[in-house]
Amino acid sequence: MKRMGFKESLFILPAIIIIAIFSLWPILKVINYSVFDYQLNDQQKSKLSLDEKFNVDLFNENADYVIMFIDMNRFSFPEDTQGKVDEVINNVYEFKEILSGKSGFIELSGDLKGQVRTNYNKLIEDVDFFINNFDFPDRENLKLVMEDTKKCFVQSNFIGLAGYGTALKDKRMHDALWHTVVFTIISVALELILGLGLAIIMNKAMKGQGVVRAVSLIPWAIPTTVAALMWSYLYDGSNGIVANILQKLHIISDSRNLLLSGGGAMASAILADVWKTTPYMALLILAGFQTIPGAVYESAKVDGSGVFNTFFKITLPLLKPSILVALLMRTLDAFRVFDLIYVLTGGGPGGSTETMSIYAYKTMFQQTNFGYGSVIVLLMVVCVAIIATFYIKILGANAMERD
Amino acid sequence: MDKKSNRYKAMLFTFISLYLIVIIFPFIWVFLTSFKPTQEIFGEGAFRLISENPTIENYANVLQNGILQSMWNSFVVAGITSIYVVMVATLAAYAITRFKFRGKNLLLGIILAVSMFPQMIIVGPIYNLFMNLNLTNSYFVVLPYSTITLPVAVFILVTHFNKIPIALEEAATIDGATSMQILSKIVFRLAAPGIFTTAIIVFITAWNEFLLTVTLNTNKAYHTVPVAISFLRTQFTILWGDVTAATVIVTIPTLIIVLLFQKQIVSGLTSGAVKE
Repeated sequence: MKRMGFKESLFILPAIIIIAIFSLWPILKVINYSVFDYQLNDQQKSKLSLDEKFNVDLFNENADYVIMFIDMNRFSFPEDTQGKVDEVINNVYEFKEILSGKSGFIELSGDLKGQVRTNYNKLIEDVDFFINNFDFPDRENLKLVMEDTKKCFVQSNFIGLAGYGTALKDKRMHDALWHTVVFTIISVALELILGLGLAIIMNKAMKGQGVVRAVSLIPWAIPTTVAALMWSYLYDGSNGIVANILQKLHIISDSRNLLLSGGGAMASAILADVWKTTPYMALLILAGFQTIPGAVYESAKVDGSGVFNTFFKITLPLLKPSILVALLMRTLDAFRVFDLIYVLTGGGPGGSTETMSIYAYKTMFQQTNFGYGSVIVLLMVVCVAIIATFYIKILGANAMERD
Repeated sequence: MDKKSNRYKAMLFTFISLYLIVIIFPFIWVFLTSFKPTQEIFGEGAFRLISENPTIENYANVLQNGILQSMWNSFVVAGITSIYVVMVATLAAYAITRFKFRGKNLLLGIILAVSMFPQMIIVGPIYNLFMNLNLTNSYFVVLPYSTITLPVAVFILVTHFNKIPIALEEAATIDGATSMQILSKIVFRLAAPGIFTTAIIVFITAWNEFLLTVTLNTNKAYHTVPVAISFLRTQFTILWGDVTAATVIVTIPTLIIVLLFQKQIVSGLTSGAVKE
């Protein structure tokens, strides 16, 4: 193999750029989001800010009212506090002076931070003194103004690993993980058993392989949302044929409960997934069958090996690598399931089919909480890494080398 | 012996038929329903096989609702994605199989990892990026499609390039061919079936993509088929007539692709997955 020169390196450059921008950069960004309390629709949390911020506009709006209410009510205060009244008013003017020429959210750093802090604390302390100790006509109004003023300081929304801590204790998160695991294990197990059986039959059948293959590809090839919608019609409580058949067979007591009960909805989602991907699994395993040379079977026959012996001692071990790769791909797909459940049940009823993908999506795009949504997604990545490591350990390092 | 083998064949045949029926049944039922008028879909007639008053009203409704626009959108995004992803992946796979370079295993590892992690991970940052650059509601959604298609494309193509003997290229070099000639006259020509297979797999994957489009392209004018279909479900009352008619219409392109290119699809699916 030749060493790569400059000209050849241009070959991989486009791929590297695309992967860097659209795959790697977002991952780093998500890690970044996950350590902030980052919520798009909350003005105070809609930016990632490590430093404290001060809302100048909001302050200026309220400062005039503070001056006005204190000044207007100055005769309601005792004689010996008149000096303090002037002090408060001067303080506010001074404060406005410091902030003059600034607007919007400003980042506080260096000298400014100290000045703003000192003035702000003094203002709060003094005004609270009047509010707490005396009764005056505009007391309630001044209270409201001060409440607003206290919002001027925007704390840093950096929360470190607190989001992960929340997630570990979050009941909804536990449920989502559990639903994902149940969905993954049951659907992948069914797909493996049925797929293996189908592959054996397809391998034996000589005629009509083209038809069987074409038909097997259709469920895999149609968009998942189309399949989900189709099944939601078949499952429909009053008009769905599958729900009706299941009721007639006494598998479910009332067809209307199929998608309205937690267990029923989960079973429905699994059944739809099994329908969509078992043929695909069968095709993958069938391809594995076809890489086993016929001579192996012939020599087994000559040595007097029976059908079952041949299957368990020869076929399965030779199939193992292709089965494991197919299993790995299917397990990861099932673990990431989104489209199917989003369209079929939307995570319902009552969150009983909410998987981690659905929970993450809802957190990010319905509650616009990108920070916590990112935490959930990263926990999914941890799970995916565990699954992949688990399979690669069984597979052995060699089987994963593709070149 | 003959009798036994006949019975064996009959059993095989029964199993295969049963399997085919299970796979096809939902499509048939949806197809039959799509011709039923609304009053037959609900209530008494819901489970009748053939409609008493067949109608194409459902199809007319769905066509008015812009299903053709969403099919066109799907066609555009899947087409653009196939073209650029296959071009990028072909070059990369060629370099990976033919040259030694530092960090090759790292690159392969990253591509493998990208194919494994949940697609949900890129959606948040990509959403913000597209909002900032004003790219939402446009065909630019094809760019992040690379996350789900590029790794698969590279792996299929690496498998195919590995099958092309390097001796051919060496012989051409000895005969005085330049590296560009070797690429265009030998390698890409021999790899053409593999490249075509990859393009089909990428096309189907992009055609079926849902998550990115539903978050980035909220405007109905840019909905692709999977997204347009999903919005039929979220209405307050579900008009099964429309749903079934839409399902039939959007399944047709997939059906054509599968029937025409089934061999390539199977080879593409398995070349990444089966250890040879």
